Amino acid sequence: MAIGLSGCAWVPFRRQPAAPAGLGLESRQQPALSGNGRLLASLVERGGRITVLLQERLTGRELPLRHLRNRQPHSAPSLSWNGRYLALLVQQGGRRQAVIEDRATGQQHPLWLPAGQEPQHLSLAPDGQSIALELINGGSRRLQVFSLANLLEPDRAPGLRESGGGPEQQP
Amino acid sequence: MTLPLRIPSGIGSLLLALLLAGCQTGMRPVQGLNQQLNRLGDSQSPSLSGDWLALITSRAGSRPQVQLIDRRRNAPVPLPGLNRPDSLPISVAVDQQGERLALVRQRDDRSELVLHRRSLQASQIIPIEPAGVPQRVSLSADGRVLAVEVSRAGLWQVDLLELP
Repeated sequence: MAIGLSGCAWVPFRRQPAAPAGLGLESRQQPALSGNGRLLASLVERGGRITVLLQERLTGRELPLRHLRNRQPHSAPSLSWNGRYLALLVQQGGRRQAVIEDRATGQQHPLWLPAGQEPQHLSLAPDGQSIALELINGGSRRLQVFSLANLLEPDRAPGLRESGGGPEQQP
Repeated sequence: MTLPLRIPSGIGSLLLALLLAGCQTGMRPVQGLNQQLNRLGDSQSPSLSGDWLALITSRAGSRPQVQLIDRRRNAPVPLPGLNRPDSLPISVAVDQQGERLALVRQRDDRSELVLHRRSLQASQIIPIEPAGVPQRVSLSADGRVLAVEVSRAGLWQVDLLELP
């Protein structure tokens, strides 16, 4: 049995098989959990193309994604706290492009980078207010972080609000 | 008196290009943090959560290692007990408190999944059951659920674990 740390006590981890993504065994890669752990994004093969799949973690129920068809292969999915935002890399012409799908409004936000900057991986902050991009440039890998505060509404845990310089707990 | 205009090159040009591109799409580079990231050299496997950014850096001539940056200070924090001279980090994720880090690393030709608690300075290997080779890990921001990509018998699968 797997064991883990909880304070100073050793208690068991609880294992849960990932909900089936389709019929029978199929390959599934690059898991990404929403901040609250309720949703799971992962990559599966659909019609011979690597496609992002969004599911409820506990039930396996598949959630629709509007704008991502025909832009495979997908890679590097990343979710905000409640899963309102899904950031990932899609194929745009001959290039890989970072995009964010807003599941609440149906909008898609492409993140444009200068020519020569190829995104390789990404991580969206749980509140949706910043994103880290792993960029390939001249053979080296660099991380750069961008603020999305002018682009996206916050997607925070319930009970958090904006006050002055940042979030704080409601009384 | 006029000062000569210094034309940026290398990283400076990259920063300028990213700044211009970012302004066109509503995203803006986080300057102080990006300067710190440029100082760290080659970097990969970012994980943003709350005030924390976890990543793997690999400076020329030294082994890759996990770094955790406090975004309020734009500075790395020490991670005693996590980076080992005999292991190679592959993937890392951090929770929003900066307390739990999940890590896949290679050690002695084996890949292992590790949960590190910063306040305890302790790492715990999480067995992969049934046996498999872990590759990429995701940790929910609340630190309660872990998802790991595992290779088993030629098939990639995702294992989910609820953490105590």
